[in-house]
Amino acid sequence: MYKERNKKISWLRQVCETYVRELRNIFKDEGIMIFFFLLPLAYPIVYSLIYNPEVVRDVPMVVIDNDRTALSREFVRRLDATQDIRIKGYAAELGEARRAMAGRDCFGIMEIPDGFQKRAGRLEQNNVILYTDMTLMLRYKAFLMGATDVSQEMGAEIQAKALDSDLPVDVNLDGDPLPIHNVALGNTTSGFDSFVMPGILMLILQQCIILAVGMAGGAMREPRRLLRYNPINEAPSVVLTLISKTLVYCTIMAVPILYLSHYVPLMFAFPMAGDSIEILLLLVPMVLASIFLGFCIQSVVTERETIFVFWVITSVIFLFLSGLTWPRYAMPDVWRWLGDIFPGTWGVEGFIRMNTNGASLSQVSACYYALWILTGVYFTLACVLHRFVIRPRIRREHGECAI
Amino acid sequence: MRKTFAIEMSDNQSNKEAKRSNSLWRLMKECVLEMLHRPIYWVGFFALPLFLFLFLASLMESGLPEKIPAAIVDKDGTATSREITQSLNGMQMVNLTMTCNSYTEARHAMQEGKIYGFFVIPENFESELLSMRKPVITFYTNMTYYVPAALLFKTFKTTALYAKAGIAVNVLEYAGAGSMNVAPLLNPINVATRPIGNPGLNYAIYLCNSFIPCALQLMILLVTAFTLGEEVKRGRSRRLLERTDGSILTALFAKLFPQTIIWIIVVVFMESWLYKWNGYPMNGSWGWLTLSEIMFVFASQAFGVFLYGCLPSLRLSLSACALLGILSFSLAAFSFPEQSMYPALSIFSWVVPIRYNFLIYSDQALNGLHIYYSRIWFAAYCVFMLLPFTMLWRIKRSYSNGIYVP
Repeated sequence: MYKERNKKISWLRQVCETYVRELRNIFKDEGIMIFFFLLPLAYPIVYSLIYNPEVVRDVPMVVIDNDRTALSREFVRRLDATQDIRIKGYAAELGEARRAMAGRDCFGIMEIPDGFQKRAGRLEQNNVILYTDMTLMLRYKAFLMGATDVSQEMGAEIQAKALDSDLPVDVNLDGDPLPIHNVALGNTTSGFDSFVMPGILMLILQQCIILAVGMAGGAMREPRRLLRYNPINEAPSVVLTLISKTLVYCTIMAVPILYLSHYVPLMFAFPMAGDSIEILLLLVPMVLASIFLGFCIQSVVTERETIFVFWVITSVIFLFLSGLTWPRYAMPDVWRWLGDIFPGTWGVEGFIRMNTNGASLSQVSACYYALWILTGVYFTLACVLHRFVIRPRIRREHGECAI
Repeated sequence: MRKTFAIEMSDNQSNKEAKRSNSLWRLMKECVLEMLHRPIYWVGFFALPLFLFLFLASLMESGLPEKIPAAIVDKDGTATSREITQSLNGMQMVNLTMTCNSYTEARHAMQEGKIYGFFVIPENFESELLSMRKPVITFYTNMTYYVPAALLFKTFKTTALYAKAGIAVNVLEYAGAGSMNVAPLLNPINVATRPIGNPGLNYAIYLCNSFIPCALQLMILLVTAFTLGEEVKRGRSRRLLERTDGSILTALFAKLFPQTIIWIIVVVFMESWLYKWNGYPMNGSWGWLTLSEIMFVFASQAFGVFLYGCLPSLRLSLSACALLGILSFSLAAFSFPEQSMYPALSIFSWVVPIRYNFLIYSDQALNGLHIYYSRIWFAAYCVFMLLPFTMLWRIKRSYSNGIYVP
């Protein structure tokens, strides 16, 4: 019956009708609305706030000073003055210091050897020992940076003094014969929030879309008494249905996309070196590919809520596949290939390079093309799955009149 | 009319059945059989956790990413600058994949993702150096990618310091310091680091031991809330209560205890996978760690029941579990220490069970401390286990109402 009717009206009208119907269905469904609006709006804020202090400062340290001279005290004072380290106090011996560390009063121990000052005066090398708790890498990094800076600075002074008094001619090494500069690019403050969040924003985008589309897919298969999201309607062909649903999702996601890609970085002062329009261009295939991937996943969602159980955890997997923490070139091939087939991987990479490193769209063309290829592949796959798996199944479960 | 008839029919039927099969054992057996027949449980219990174990451990198998792609910008092209390039290329962490002619070219390569950093030797480097005009060596690292950039930073800095030391030795020898031992002069204060428990700075040890249990917590929370909510959704919650003579506690026990057993098997497997198979540091007692993992299962399940009690609707409780489960990865302070977070947020790190699992792992496995130091964390597990008792009345109410909200 519907097929006959569909033959009579133009495809544009069919798309419009499905569009309106789908939009209405979604606005009626609270669960899907949460994924489309509440999740992308609230989640990035909570997440960014957790990491917002950006850097780890003043990590507590205990000192075992076996020398107790002016020079060793000066060394400790300078450690305390760094932004990384805070001297919590002195311990008499290693056992006492380790007890402090076990009780979480400090996370590092600095042991200054006996004869520290004497050796410095005699131009012998001093070995100070830094014990660190390795539960968190950032704490280790803070200790190492602080201690290295102080030891080099004091070392240069000792050197200069020694040379002044010991050498027959006037050599001035004090002025540093070869100054070394280092510059952090992209994430210029080396902050943790600015490092991790731009990538996470893209993953949030992908996951929101897939969870919402997946849940909509589960809703199509619910028994009628539980139904709110209604699949029983006169539907056009599979391709037209998918296109009109995609248009609905794009309409709804327009605001969250803009918010995630532009306003969240703006609010939390993340690096924003890229061109906003070009970033949006990159996100077009990323969003489309995610929607189509969602359509494919609909084939395994048997009810609304199962999508939670099997999809939420994938966020962790995608985080690692994207190469944000562990670079992609160092991954075993199989995981790199697995990463290649998900839009999030390319989205994260492209977005980070554009937003944080200021690359242009042409510089991330590999990501851009890969996203369009994924869009094409997933669209084809979605059409096949909907035509041969999902529709027949819904017809079987709900009767002939369903889509 | 027909509808009421159907309800009466089903009520009669359920009464009869309740009498026939009210034994707890039978109920549990039915729950197990149901789980066996539904693929989603197989995925939740086994497929996803096992995939994650394998994935995370094999992803970071090498411990640290080596041979990080980098570029050299040598604008000098003399023997000295080539020597620096050679020593840089000899470093384990760096792979000089490109030679660029200018800063701009190197920056473009970095923006395209070909390299993670570059090292710039300025023009007239050698001649300025010999005439003591202090040329500047600059290196750039792409801090957008934390781990490779930090490792590259360290290698670049070491190379630059070596270069500087070589020059200082030359200058000192020219100045007549040949008779002195100049080596200690170059680095009068040497910092020797002793990273306790993880001397190789292995990234897998740091990440897997926290992320894998946290992923399990997420799965436990989701599966627990899903199981409880499904009863209402499938319209079986009233019958379940009838079969347990109205005792919600027995009903929960029958539903969740079989899952507890499965989860315990999964966590014990996880423990042996991490600390035996992969050989991650295990400096303390196996007994306490195993106890911690088992209590962690109970605590997480209890937390899941508590969340379901707070929001007794399948979708809302699953949303809450998903939100808290995912936020746990950051809130539990595996990467960014809780002391550095805003106090208003860092208190939340104490309200998820995984935090205590992480602290016990750190105390017992990594640092091998006496159990005395972990006593509070074990007590915290117990608090989680008591939480559901505050919510039993709400769960019972929702079960006896039996209304499913989509």
